[in-house]
Amino acid sequence: MLTIDHVGLTISGVPLLNNIALNCPQGTVTALMGPNGAGKTSLLKVISGEHSATQGQVVINGQPATEWKAPDIARFMAVLPQSSTLEFAFTAQEVVALGRTPHGTGLMRDTEIVSAALKRVDASYLAERSFVQLSGGEKQRVQLARVLAQIWEHCEGNSGTDGILLLDEPSASFDLAHQLMLIEIVQQIAVLGVTVVMVMHDLNLAAKCADQLVMMNCGHCTAVGSASELLNPELIKKVFSVKAKVMPHPVDGTPLVVM
Amino acid sequence: MLLLALLPCTLIIGLMTGPAFISLADIWAIYTGSGVSQEQLIIEVIRLPRVILSALVGALLATCGALLQGLFRNPLADPALIGVSAGASVGASSMIVFGSLLAANGVLLGLPAISLGAFVGALITSVIIFRLATGPRGTSVATMLLAGIAISALAGAATNLLSYLADNDMLRRISLWQMGNLDGATWDRVTVCATIALLLAVLIPRESRALNAMLLGESEARHLGVNVEWLKRRLIIYSALGVATSVAVAGVIAFVGLMIPHLVRLLVGPDHRSLIPLSALAGAILLVAADALARVVVAPAELPVGVVTAILGAPFFLWLLIVQRGRD
Repeated sequence: MLTIDHVGLTISGVPLLNNIALNCPQGTVTALMGPNGAGKTSLLKVISGEHSATQGQVVINGQPATEWKAPDIARFMAVLPQSSTLEFAFTAQEVVALGRTPHGTGLMRDTEIVSAALKRVDASYLAERSFVQLSGGEKQRVQLARVLAQIWEHCEGNSGTDGILLLDEPSASFDLAHQLMLIEIVQQIAVLGVTVVMVMHDLNLAAKCADQLVMMNCGHCTAVGSASELLNPELIKKVFSVKAKVMPHPVDGTPLVVM
Repeated sequence: MLLLALLPCTLIIGLMTGPAFISLADIWAIYTGSGVSQEQLIIEVIRLPRVILSALVGALLATCGALLQGLFRNPLADPALIGVSAGASVGASSMIVFGSLLAANGVLLGLPAISLGAFVGALITSVIIFRLATGPRGTSVATMLLAGIAISALAGAATNLLSYLADNDMLRRISLWQMGNLDGATWDRVTVCATIALLLAVLIPRESRALNAMLLGESEARHLGVNVEWLKRRLIIYSALGVATSVAVAGVIAFVGLMIPHLVRLLVGPDHRSLIPLSALAGAILLVAADALARVVVAPAELPVGVVTAILGAPFFLWLLIVQRGRD
């Protein structure tokens, strides 16, 4: 459960976010969309506590984000950044095991979770490989496994508290098959009660898996709603300044944006 | 495991070698109390404290190297390379020159003034380098090394200025610091060094998991529940303490902190839970061996051990740069 209560963010005099209000109930998927510089990543960073809001507040599981202590919040909230640099030659499974840092569940259980998480992102075959030698897409899959491992109990639905997963452009470096895999994972863990907020550029991919889309522009929240409500040529023109056509998907009828 | 067996071997070889060679049988005889008195004197007063001090200093430097590399998230960090040792050496030199004005008998606040000076110098330079080199996007290696060069130059100038002000006795002690030398080993120094090493041996391993998380990046570590700001402060203090102690007792010994964690990482990977203890062990072995070498190469005179580690370390550093360039 995540409430963004009229949040504003100004960093060194530059307003990045302006009066953003958003509610993400437990088990929903929210996709943040908008052109570059719209404030999507900034909003994600306010939610994750990396920036503290200069106006308003973010409430996470009933408590303001700023009042959570790092070790406590890390037990139920995981964050996947756009890209991370790792200069040291950990193996892929060691990287995933770092996701278990906030927990004291013991080596046996952690090893189980690590291999299950790697399997979930189709990266079991990378387990022994050195992380620094992986391709961009492989690295991102291993990082995804790491954040899944961090909130694994929540992803399996075996936890009393509400899990939260924040993803910043998770599919940017994935091939087609893995983009679909990502959507499947996101939908599956949402059903089991994990609240997902992610930054996405692909409108169709977002339409497929998000319960609510958030259109952002210049630090403002332009529109919030479901894919069928928001994906229309007028709004896409207004937010992205591109002419697009929207048609129903031939099979499931979800809106399909065509350039 | 191999390292564990190697340490006693190098320690014994360290005891045997020197201007006067003492055989294994003679060392055993001294140990059992039936040795020749002159040899016993050499072992007890000169070689044993020296070998133990080398081991401690080597362990401290290698551990601090591993810590700094984790803190900067960069495998090229080394206490001497980034100017921390130089800062410590200025601190120590100013205490040698001005210490008598501040404190009687070289003791300040109950601590040996030179160690205290070295610690303050190391701490200040660590903080300056860290502030300069670390931005919101992580640490810039170029800035880190350049800042290290600038600070080393500044520290060098400050030490030269201090040498100019110093009298003969002070001058000799200052130049000893700059070269890195273990021939001043006494049981007093061993005690100081061992105390600090023991303290750090208790404190540092507790940070291993957090250090592992730090390697992913600062914000990633924060999201993994690490209180990054406090962790950074503790790491800076620990490494400053370790480097300062080693500089205070043995002067500036370069490249141990760079080479050892690297070699250990090649063997066991970057996990700090094994990296830190093994680096300490390997650092001890390297410095005992380097010091033994320093004593025999030009016997009966001896080389400063800093020269030996630099001869080994500088090519190693160049090799690292070549490997890194190949990867980019």
